[in-house]
Amino acid sequence: MAISAIATGIAACVLTWEASARYLFKIPSIWQDDVAVFLLVGATFLSAAWVQARRGHVGIQALAAILPPHIDRVRLAIADFLTLLFVTFFAWKSWELLLEAIDEGRVTYSAWGAPMWVPFTCMSVGMSLVALQLLLQIFGVASRWHEQ
Amino acid sequence: MSTLQIGLAYAGATFAVMFTGIPIAFALGLVATSFMIVYMPWASLDTVVDNVYTEMSNIILLTIPLFILKGAAIGKSAAGRDLYGAMHAWLHRIPGGLGVAVVFACGLFAAMAGSSAATCSAIGNSAIPEMRARGYSGGFAAGLVAAGGTLGILLPPSITMILYAIAAEQSLGRLFLAGVVPGMLLVALFAAYSMYRYRYEHRAAAAIHAAGGLRSDILQEDSFTLADRLRALPRIAPFVILLLGVMLALYGGFATPAETAGLGGVLALLLIAAIYGAWHWSDMKPIFQSTLMEATMIMMIIGMSLLYSYVMSYLHISQSAAEWVVAQHLSRWLLLSAVLLLVIVLGFFLPPVSIILMTAPIILPPLRVAGFDLIWFGVIMTIVMEMGLIHPPVGLNLYVIKGVAPDIPLGEIVWRVLPFVGLMAFAVLLLCIFPEISTALPTWIYASR
Repeated sequence: MAISAIATGIAACVLTWEASARYLFKIPSIWQDDVAVFLLVGATFLSAAWVQARRGHVGIQALAAILPPHIDRVRLAIADFLTLLFVTFFAWKSWELLLEAIDEGRVTYSAWGAPMWVPFTCMSVGMSLVALQLLLQIFGVASRWHEQ
Repeated sequence: MSTLQIGLAYAGATFAVMFTGIPIAFALGLVATSFMIVYMPWASLDTVVDNVYTEMSNIILLTIPLFILKGAAIGKSAAGRDLYGAMHAWLHRIPGGLGVAVVFACGLFAAMAGSSAATCSAIGNSAIPEMRARGYSGGFAAGLVAAGGTLGILLPPSITMILYAIAAEQSLGRLFLAGVVPGMLLVALFAAYSMYRYRYEHRAAAAIHAAGGLRSDILQEDSFTLADRLRALPRIAPFVILLLGVMLALYGGFATPAETAGLGGVLALLLIAAIYGAWHWSDMKPIFQSTLMEATMIMMIIGMSLLYSYVMSYLHISQSAAEWVVAQHLSRWLLLSAVLLLVIVLGFFLPPVSIILMTAPIILPPLRVAGFDLIWFGVIMTIVMEMGLIHPPVGLNLYVIKGVAPDIPLGEIVWRVLPFVGLMAFAVLLLCIFPEISTALPTWIYASR
């Protein structure tokens, strides 16, 4: 969370610098857009697991109010399992893409040509953490069932 | 399978998966990748992550976390209370001035923060207890703030409009300007209704008092001296200057939208540090926490929605659906009504962000063919989605208000918010009859540049 917060703060500063540097000191902007994009994409993926831990990713909860509690628990378990399925797939593909980007030395299309492994690392690590968080949440629910 | 069948299966699968309660972002991703596995070449699966990254790295999209940061900085400070207090000091002579002050404060706050939920909680925290202490009914106070909060997505810098501008390939600057006058129209309508409602509640209270009952606080008159009013100004002036400065940077051509957003975030943080002494990490922490909570949730939905619409377009679902709508040869207004009905129904379940990204590829081409101005339609669509923010079952603002004033029953809030839904529908009707309400300002500003 802290890393993402700092990244968001820095991104705001970078863009402020971009605008002021161009107007006040006539310095052309070369690296600022790439850096801001990396920081903000990084912030999004690296805080995704933290948001998931607080169940902050909104979903349609209309059924929660209608279903009886014991069936609703099954619904929640199915939802968590399906989420885990997708997130694991996405994390796996992110790692593949990351290795490929390192292999081929992929860079951005801008004049600055920033290395693409930077945002891809954030995506891979971030989505793996979401998968881990989901596993913890699923185990948490399962162990509570067991106790009852 | 025909495109029609695949399309129906896609829509059906989406709703089925979403209703299990999976987070919207992951539900969209799951449906999209499942259809890729079944209907698209195997190799396309390798492009999933790259696609999401490419779409998310759009620099205009990245203004969203920064505008949220700016809103959170102002929202977590005492600026909401000060703004509303100052409005009340200046407007108290008007009958029902307290309600009018709340509407104006919501409008101004929305223009600074760009988020409905932030506006609702910031203004609601101080205004709802105050209105109730002054004898207004809790339901009306809550309904007023819930409705006032929706202005957040109509007045610039609105996150919903940023997405619409990208989806419809329209100028963000023009779209922002097109929302300004309709936003003021809604402020005026809400203020007028709140004066009417005050008279109603005032008369009822006076009748009870005259019959020997309790004297309600609503009958009490306020008084502020000129000195009181002037003292209220310095605290809100910096925020109004921030608002004007950001607008000037954007429309004066000094900065790109992304730079404006970054500048707004930095300035907002500096302002609250200077005015409220909030510069410790303990002050900053809640600001960044709420920023990340909202921004990450929205950016994930955006990234996955774009994957979702990529699959829809690869499988020709969106094109076929759009062609089918065009082939119906509906009259202009019937087409518009059908599209708005769809938006309203989706608004029962989905937040504005997902509605725009999921429906834009299908509804915008027919509207363009029918000769509608897409900037004007963006404003109409935004107002219709605003209604979705205050009607159940999703009605995001209702739940924010419920969090601010837990003792007001949800049923009463819903009931009292309905007149405002009616006023919004009336505003949509006015905009259809007089499209100039929205289009005149951007046309005039861009012509004079």
